[in-house]
Amino acid sequence: MMKIVALAGNPNVGKTTIFNSLTGMRQHVGNWPGVTVEKKEGILEYRGQRFLVVDLPGTYSLTAHSVDELVARDFLLKRSADVVVHVLDATALMRNLFLTMEILEIGLDNVIVAINKIDLAEKRGIEINVKKMEEVLGVPVVFLSAKEGIGIEELKGKIYRMANGELEAKPVVPTYDPEVEREIRHITEVLSGTSLAEKYNLRWLAIKLLQRDEEVIKLVLRHLGSEKLDEIMTHISEVEERYKRAMDLIIASQKYEFIDGLMHNFVRYSHEQSETFSDQLDRVLTHPIYGLIALFGVFYLMFKFVFAFGMPLQGLLEESFSSFGVWLAPHIANETLRALLVDGVIAGVGSVLSFFPLVFLLFLAMSLLEDIGYMARAAVVMERIMRKFGLSGKSFIPLVLAFGCNVPAVMATRTLDDERDRLLTMLVNPLIPCSARLSVISFLAGAFFAERQALVAVSIYATSILLALLMAWVISRFVIKGEESPFIIELPEYLVPSWKTLLLHSWERSKEFIKKAGTIILLGSIAIWYLSTYPAPIGTGGSYAERLGRFFEPYTRLMGLDWKAAVSLLFGIIAKENVISTYGIIYGSEEAIVGIMRPLQAYVLALVTTLYVPCIATIGAIRAESSWKWAAFTVFYMIALASFVGIVVWHIGIVLGF
Amino acid sequence: MIVPLSALGPGEKGIVVNIAGGHYARQRLVSMGLSPGAMVQVIESHSMGPIIFSVGGSRFAIGRGLASKVMVRKL
Repeated sequence: MMKIVALAGNPNVGKTTIFNSLTGMRQHVGNWPGVTVEKKEGILEYRGQRFLVVDLPGTYSLTAHSVDELVARDFLLKRSADVVVHVLDATALMRNLFLTMEILEIGLDNVIVAINKIDLAEKRGIEINVKKMEEVLGVPVVFLSAKEGIGIEELKGKIYRMANGELEAKPVVPTYDPEVEREIRHITEVLSGTSLAEKYNLRWLAIKLLQRDEEVIKLVLRHLGSEKLDEIMTHISEVEERYKRAMDLIIASQKYEFIDGLMHNFVRYSHEQSETFSDQLDRVLTHPIYGLIALFGVFYLMFKFVFAFGMPLQGLLEESFSSFGVWLAPHIANETLRALLVDGVIAGVGSVLSFFPLVFLLFLAMSLLEDIGYMARAAVVMERIMRKFGLSGKSFIPLVLAFGCNVPAVMATRTLDDERDRLLTMLVNPLIPCSARLSVISFLAGAFFAERQALVAVSIYATSILLALLMAWVISRFVIKGEESPFIIELPEYLVPSWKTLLLHSWERSKEFIKKAGTIILLGSIAIWYLSTYPAPIGTGGSYAERLGRFFEPYTRLMGLDWKAAVSLLFGIIAKENVISTYGIIYGSEEAIVGIMRPLQAYVLALVTTLYVPCIATIGAIRAESSWKWAAFTVFYMIALASFVGIVVWHIGIVLGF
Repeated sequence: MIVPLSALGPGEKGIVVNIAGGHYARQRLVSMGLSPGAMVQVIESHSMGPIIFSVGGSRFAIGRGLASKVMVRKL
């Protein structure tokens, strides 16, 4: 059995960079069983021994409120790891040691404390004495600068030695005021008679009970019964009365006092903190007006960058795929097989894969903004605006990601700690036009509105973004009601990101896109090809596709669209790029669409394509992150919305004489 | 003088005395270092947006509603 090493720590301490340098490229991402938190695992090899490194979700405490915290806590509680590497940020030791104390209180004796960003701390005049720290905490301590690669070898050595029983920890645990300690003792005594004693550290359970941790209350209720639990809780309330403060606050502040006492032994601050450049920058970037201007500037530049480099690459890939088809065709003797491969597989998968550069660059730009530390500031600026529509400022990040692809954007809602915000953000996410829909919009706008191309494209983007906000408001008012969650976000230090982490991160996110092309779209392309070739070729009136189109035509007529558009939209459910490529299959070339539509129809087609039904991969992602019920809800509301908008725009357009 | 955190202006400091508000929000704030006894310094406070402050070497933004539940002794 491979030994397991778990990485734990606050968000923004550089856990991911450490994870990457420990495991190199030998890592993969999956889900924790039963929940939708990403599970990052990788292999560390040291002196011929292999270790499985698990990156736990970043958490501020082990008081389980969000799924992330629950996952991290359960992993530690069940002692699933042979070694726990707890990563701390040297520039925010006090707060980070709070989590350390919570971890040590669980009763773990296999913890290594890794102090990261030690170089940054030195610059700020924070001196830490490693020997003293080891003595006081009772656990091995390693100094790191993960970005510079300092200390990684030493960390590997300590992991190896601890995993093999050569290194031990005798951790210190916080002591509280006598009155609190008396409560802890009392509860421990009551619990010691139960089977809980075999599985948990009773002191930890007692402290969590004092903090009124819901999960622990439920656990104790099962083992003690309500009568004894009530007795304990009444006791706690009495202590709270005397302190005139909630018990969780009493424990927290005494824990900080304890940490403060420890820190005097090993930390020296050599100069007073003055206002930093970050403070000044934050004053501008989080300002309600200047910040908003900066935000528009940043995102304008981001899209500019993505399109300036992505579009030429996309054209190049598109050409390569079509030349590949042309080259391949004469080499295949069987006519059916040739048609399947060239018109079905290469045309379909190729048109999707050619968007990969755009998607990758978009994720690269967004990962860059995140790693620099800007995304959190953007969330602060957007908080006030998003709140008006029932969303949280934090929803802004997944919504921006959706411009690249809705699938990773839906998954990115995991970063929201409030369940209601998370669901709401997920449900309106597919209304944000992804790059697949961009391909449809830009094709139609270019073909029909040569001079007003940009204006047309912008109007469709603006409409869908406005509708996303409007739907968020409607859904939060009438469908998932509930209290607004408080807004709390950490503004990480502005940092120069590491290229390796950046590329790895963007690759991980855009990988979904290739996976989609290789699975769903491959199958979809074959299906489209089959439906439009059998039992008679399309155009002759006999194909299945045409019959399907004719069936839906009375409905699409309401928005001025004929059976060909109906077929295209149907196939567009597989992937939005299909809306245009279907015309290619029907007519032999995509350009043929120009002769058979008037501009108004093309506009409605572009609008409806943007608003109706998310692609299959997105529906799948919503289902995986929530439930079938919410996936179905999204499909239905979007069909209704797209139909309504399509019909209205078509009729108004007719009246206005377009 | 004990005032809510939301009443501090940019550059002003205070010591946290108590936190009202729900269990969830309180736990969040405490685990981020905003617990009784901690010193906070407000960096930006604007009536139109969240409050930016630093505590224990880190910077946070919290909504005004929540900030009005954090009581501090103004320094």
